[in-house]
Amino acid sequence: MGVVFSLTMRRAIRRVLLLGVALGAFLFLVGLSYSSVDENQIRSLVESLPPALQAFVKGSDIASPAGYLGSTFIHPITLSILAATAIAAGAAPARDVEHGVAELVLSRPVTRTAWLGAEVIAMVVQVTIVAIMGFIGALIAITTVDALAPVSVGNLAITTLPLLILFIGIGAITMLAGSFSRTAARAIGWGTAFALVAYALDYLAQVWGLAEPLGPLSVMHWYRPATILGSGSAPASTWIVLSLVAVVATALAVAVTSRREVAP
Amino acid sequence: MSDAPAIRAQGLGKSYGAGVMALEDIDLEVAPGERLGFLGPNGAGKTTFIRCALGILNPTAGSIAIRGHDITRDRMAALAEVGYVPGDLGMIRAVTGRRMLDALSALHPRPPVLQDRLLAALELGPDALGKRIRDYSTGMRQKLGLVAALQHDPPVIILDEPTSGLDPVMQARLLEVLDERAREGRTVFFSSHVLGEVDELCDRVAMVRGGKLLLVRDVGELRRTRVRTVEVLFDREVDPSAYRVDGMGEVRVEGHVHHFTLSGDPGPLLARIGPLAPRDITIEAARLEDVFRALYLGDGD
Repeated sequence: MGVVFSLTMRRAIRRVLLLGVALGAFLFLVGLSYSSVDENQIRSLVESLPPALQAFVKGSDIASPAGYLGSTFIHPITLSILAATAIAAGAAPARDVEHGVAELVLSRPVTRTAWLGAEVIAMVVQVTIVAIMGFIGALIAITTVDALAPVSVGNLAITTLPLLILFIGIGAITMLAGSFSRTAARAIGWGTAFALVAYALDYLAQVWGLAEPLGPLSVMHWYRPATILGSGSAPASTWIVLSLVAVVATALAVAVTSRREVAP
Repeated sequence: MSDAPAIRAQGLGKSYGAGVMALEDIDLEVAPGERLGFLGPNGAGKTTFIRCALGILNPTAGSIAIRGHDITRDRMAALAEVGYVPGDLGMIRAVTGRRMLDALSALHPRPPVLQDRLLAALELGPDALGKRIRDYSTGMRQKLGLVAALQHDPPVIILDEPTSGLDPVMQARLLEVLDERAREGRTVFFSSHVLGEVDELCDRVAMVRGGKLLLVRDVGELRRTRVRTVEVLFDREVDPSAYRVDGMGEVRVEGHVHHFTLSGDPGPLLARIGPLAPRDITIEAARLEDVFRALYLGDGD
């Protein structure tokens, strides 16, 4: 298991570090820009925006330090970087099947559960590395920008954790899709579609009354970073739903993989 | 378990969806220490058979066991007995050859006792192993795959077209290595569509076509039953009836040269023709390739 994990990480580490640096730099720069923000001007600007645009910040008060920094956790750039990490890592088993690496490994006395388990751990580690580097970027921002001083390190950490679980879930969904597929492209396609549909559904539920009841069907609905960053705690539903998605998708991927054919 | 057949397939079948039969009712037994050539054209089912034997694909009928370990019920024990080189060799291109080799070695319970010898035989030195696999040629990747498969000295060696990508010198070297392993009692299951190398290495051949096993026969026996081409040069006119024996085909005479085919043992022909004092006789060696062609072309589809 350690061998497969090590090989997978060696293949991914450069990409993961680049994405991590990008996320860290982005969160730091956004945090840094808060020093140039006039709270009242921002607040009146946001209030003047149509609801469709306000929904991008999930209704949080982005003029406040917690709201401003929290909104960066659901900024499309943040979400894209984490989604790219999770989906690429989640598609690794399908890529290994497609390129014959799985055949080479599984023609040795290695169980499919051990093989996929190593890939799951590698996926979790990759998403964690990128999330931690993002956390570090935000941490540098709150410790260097005086205006962000009200945001505590603990609150920042408790905001990052559900974000991490959310994207581990997206990685696991990609892995589940990959366990039905012989090509990485198909796994990536399904993982991307899941993330986009979740984002779109959450957005629509906020701006369109008719779609509001559908909001809870999206995993994004269960992550409200500005609220968590301000209060220092996430509701139990956030932890339960996001963890369930990750655990159930992983369990299903393992179950399907244990019986699947792994020829390219 | 060591007395069990190295590979034993009983009624093995593999279908994809409705009506697409990749393998159909294959019964095949490979004895310990045997060298079996598994012949067939592209798409005949050779790779599918091997993948079913290793649990890479799930058979839809019958069973297959390696050294007595059924691949579906006792996969770990079965695979611990095998060294396998896939035809379509997949490697992680971002790592060095050395790291890939060590990783594959760590996945096998047997120690890599033959690694150094194989690296030397196949000329994979430290410089080559230090390169990333993305910089390898097809032949180098193939050599690395061969070392990875054989380094544990597995009792059963399964090779799916292993010489593809190797230059002629390395092909010969590989056949020497396999011959040596076989002489030490290892079973070699060698899938190929290159008849010469199977002819050179194997004791028996199994031929597949369209997912069905056509025949399993001793290589020598196949050669003996093969029709040979004979050319005889006389220094005068000779009536072919003077040397006619059973198994001779129609004689075509061009000047003093007689051409004909002969099936079976050439001994009686030589006994009859010797007193006629021919200046030269050429009997083309029976080749496995001829058998192969006859089976595939003669039997019709």
